[in-house]
Amino acid sequence: MIARAKLSVLKEKFGPAIRRADLPAENRLFLYIDPAAVRPICQYLFRDMDARYVITIGVDDRLYSNTFLVAHDFAFDRDRLLCSVLAQIPHEAPRIDSISDLIPAASWAEREMRDMVGIEPVGHKYLKRLVLPDGWPEGVHPLRKDIAWNEVPPGFDPEREFTFDEPPEGCTVVPFGPFHPTLDEPAHFRLYVEGEMVRGCEYRGFMVHRGIEKLAESVLGYNDIPMLAERICGICGCVHSVAYVQAIESAAALEPPPRTQFIRTVMLELERLHSHLLWVGLACHILGFDTLFMQSFRVREPVMWIAEKITGNRKTYSLCVVGGVRWDLPADLRSELLDVLARLEAEWVAIADAISGDRNLQKRTRGIGVADAALVKNMGLVGPVARAAGVAIDCRRDHPYAAYDRLEFDVITASDGDVWSRLLVRAREVFESIRIIRQCLQKMEPGPIDLNIKDELPVGRIGISSVEAPRGESHHFAITGENNRPRRWRVRAPTYQNLQGIPAMIKDQRFADMTISLGSIDPCFSCTDRLETIELKSGATKIWSQQELMAMARRAEEK
Amino acid sequence: MLNKLKEVKICARAGRVTLPYPAEPVPPPRNLRGRPIFDASKCIGCAACANNCPAREILVFDPCQEIRILKYLGRRCTYCGRCADLCPEKAITMSHDFENGTAAIGDLQQRMELFMSTCQRCGRCFDPPSVLEQLKLKGFRFDDLQNERWIFGSRSYLDQPLSDDIELELDLPHPEE
Amino acid sequence: MDRSALTAILTAIYNVAAVLALAPLLEGVLRRITARIQSRQGPPLLQPYFDLLKLLGKEDIESGETPVMQRFAACLTLASALTVACMVPLGFAAPLQGSADVIVLVYLLTLCGICTLLAGLAAGSTYSLVGISREMMAMISLEPLFAAAIIAAAVDARSFRLGSVLNGSVYRTGFPISGVVFAVVLLFSFQGFVQRLPFDISEAETELMEGPLMEYSGPKLALFKYAQMVKLVIYCALFVGLFVPWGSALPFPFGWALFWIKVSALVVLVTLIAATHARYRIDQAVRYFLAMLVVSVVALALASYGY
Repeated sequence: MIARAKLSVLKEKFGPAIRRADLPAENRLFLYIDPAAVRPICQYLFRDMDARYVITIGVDDRLYSNTFLVAHDFAFDRDRLLCSVLAQIPHEAPRIDSISDLIPAASWAEREMRDMVGIEPVGHKYLKRLVLPDGWPEGVHPLRKDIAWNEVPPGFDPEREFTFDEPPEGCTVVPFGPFHPTLDEPAHFRLYVEGEMVRGCEYRGFMVHRGIEKLAESVLGYNDIPMLAERICGICGCVHSVAYVQAIESAAALEPPPRTQFIRTVMLELERLHSHLLWVGLACHILGFDTLFMQSFRVREPVMWIAEKITGNRKTYSLCVVGGVRWDLPADLRSELLDVLARLEAEWVAIADAISGDRNLQKRTRGIGVADAALVKNMGLVGPVARAAGVAIDCRRDHPYAAYDRLEFDVITASDGDVWSRLLVRAREVFESIRIIRQCLQKMEPGPIDLNIKDELPVGRIGISSVEAPRGESHHFAITGENNRPRRWRVRAPTYQNLQGIPAMIKDQRFADMTISLGSIDPCFSCTDRLETIELKSGATKIWSQQELMAMARRAEEK
Repeated sequence: MLNKLKEVKICARAGRVTLPYPAEPVPPPRNLRGRPIFDASKCIGCAACANNCPAREILVFDPCQEIRILKYLGRRCTYCGRCADLCPEKAITMSHDFENGTAAIGDLQQRMELFMSTCQRCGRCFDPPSVLEQLKLKGFRFDDLQNERWIFGSRSYLDQPLSDDIELELDLPHPEE
Repeated sequence: MDRSALTAILTAIYNVAAVLALAPLLEGVLRRITARIQSRQGPPLLQPYFDLLKLLGKEDIESGETPVMQRFAACLTLASALTVACMVPLGFAAPLQGSADVIVLVYLLTLCGICTLLAGLAAGSTYSLVGISREMMAMISLEPLFAAAIIAAAVDARSFRLGSVLNGSVYRTGFPISGVVFAVVLLFSFQGFVQRLPFDISEAETELMEGPLMEYSGPKLALFKYAQMVKLVIYCALFVGLFVPWGSALPFPFGWALFWIKVSALVVLVTLIAATHARYRIDQAVRYFLAMLVVSVVALALASYGY
């Protein structure tokens, strides 16, 4: 029992600091610790036990336990264990020691915790606002329970401007974004450029922040949230919806039927196929190679059609409910899916072969945007970015979910850690996905696709789930609650971690390579931002779309 | 060089894949989830669709005990199909209409006025398919049809005035209470 | 007015009109072929005409640092391109061939490039400035290549006069090695001259940066785009004039038609190369052009010794 073994090691080292431990399953460990011991315990986990840092979550638990809760999630990839270190801090003094100097990857998560829940990470070196808009008043923390989801805080200052850091000596500032032809979503990288070389950057993001977590806590129900979750991202929707329902199922100790697991696996791999094919096209487009962009999209189109035939939509599959899936795979669609895969494989073999020898492409991608294994460990990078650096982490093998424990597949790695390696990793993962889907279709047995849950779900249980999105590990943390909705739901998209590695990847590199370096992590800013709704003028119950925000900005300018 | 020729070979083999849409219609697959169509003749007014629409786009208003108005707004509808799944009478079908662009938002609305026969004791009750679909909204419903807003609280009463600045109530108990 | 002046004027009008009329058509062909390679249908062949008309009809917004200079740069670009068009034989002898020599041709071609620099400077935004710095680097490495080719042809023709140089003079004494080497060198760097992939680093670089044309829209942009199309035709005509002269001595319809067929073939070649390559970075491009420059200097030396 791995979880028990790890627990005994920790108990031996930290003894009285560990107040309580929950082992709901052999791959989950929840440690409740004394807040004063958070730094030594996290350092021991990260350095000595070589766990991977996943995310830090702040929870406003004052209604139930009169405390705030801080959870640091770690993953033991080789041991198939997901572990959460929880500290309850008193409600009158919401402060906890920061771990961001020990674990640089925790930097954003702690800033977000401070912005959204108001828990101060003491000792954090760079406490600038991360998520909340500039004019948001101090002291109003949206994810606290006493703030309503559609509340307009008095004292919102629409005129207040963002203060940028000072650039280092001798560097000019070149703004990259928020509107840029290469970026699909807004993000602002303020580059410090010396001549042609980039010396550093400041990132300002969270412009597509939509209030998803607050909505889930306030107005939606358990089975409404998968519909919202799949809209977190424009490409990897199924991943978030599966990760959410798995978190709830893990919290409520529900085991969905086997056919459900296989169907979820098939749809997740279909999504990985279309995402990787899209990325290859996008990377070529960034490099100016439009022909390969068009060809990848042409090859990708049948995947979208078959997804539409199975689920009713090209991308937002609306697949999951808690305990089951909504669409089944009848025999005719099964054989059609096999046909599509066969044709895709034949085409992709030709394209991958042509790309791998293409020296023109290699000249633009080799040695660019390098992320080595040390950066992967320190910044908690995940997905193809980590695998291209030689770090073989893949949630499908390390923390098996859905039907992956019954399937055979390889984890593709490369060794150079540059953009070219990431291209190769993603191109080869297409073949692995095809292999996985074929195995699923073979091994799937007829049976029910839904648990048809009759009882209410238990309240106050914590569930965590990691799913391998095309971009990396997508980690969801949920606490079940009353009224058929979770008390807290935290989504950590893979781009959240990968973006934190970007400043190191573009440093001391040419300015021209910035876009392809950024593109090579396959950034999904919508996944990263997902949090807070900005309610401004009316008290209307709205989820602001980007167009509405821009129209609002225009109106403000005209005034 | 050789690889460029390989790439050209791939392109040549593929030919032209542009479809002449919209000049020629492309038949949608049979499972396509397009716009939901509400059939008033089959509807029993249980409001399962309204209670489980994730976008809260179906409003319910009871002008009196016998009449229920169900209004589908169609603005933020995500075509997820939960309403169609949960309808006990299969009165909702997800059609194949995906070309729903319109300049007037009201074009997508569907409104049903239903004459209800009521349970003498509680007004109207229905059994949700599963406990996870319960939103714990029972009894008379007074969503704001004019301003097209959901009223979350289930404690609204008939004699409460309906106006623009109606207070929105949450299901969650307020910490001060 | 004597006959030669009249011929010159008529040919000048013909040159300008031909280039203005045919450049968008060749651009349309380029776009169509690119689309077919990308498995798409592609825009109609006359689309560039519609694009230019549309742009010309838009409001002339003043954005950027010095709008007066921006307007000047836009006009200068097309003007210099059309002047070069008058110096290049387009099926007939060039109208200005009596009044200029190859040095002026090289200067005017450089002026076309400088107009882009002027455009970027006048716009003054960060991205324009980065764009023109790249354009400068590209120009510094590209213009000597063309100048070397022209000078080798001039050396061969023993004259700097346009007429003698631009009528296939490299092959006057058979197939000199220098001539062939220059043909190959120019062909390999042709994409840089006409600013198509893989060397469209400064202007069409909308993915990486907007480039010098960033603050231009409406009629000013139309002039720049037109100049770009005209430059494609001019460079193709120059290349054909220098290195592919066979058949130009044929009587009127055939020689003239053959000329345009050769130009179109070169445009198709440009398209094929542009459609199958990714864009190079400026430092990689400069290194490439410098390598070509070394080869061309060697060939120039050979040419001066008569090889």
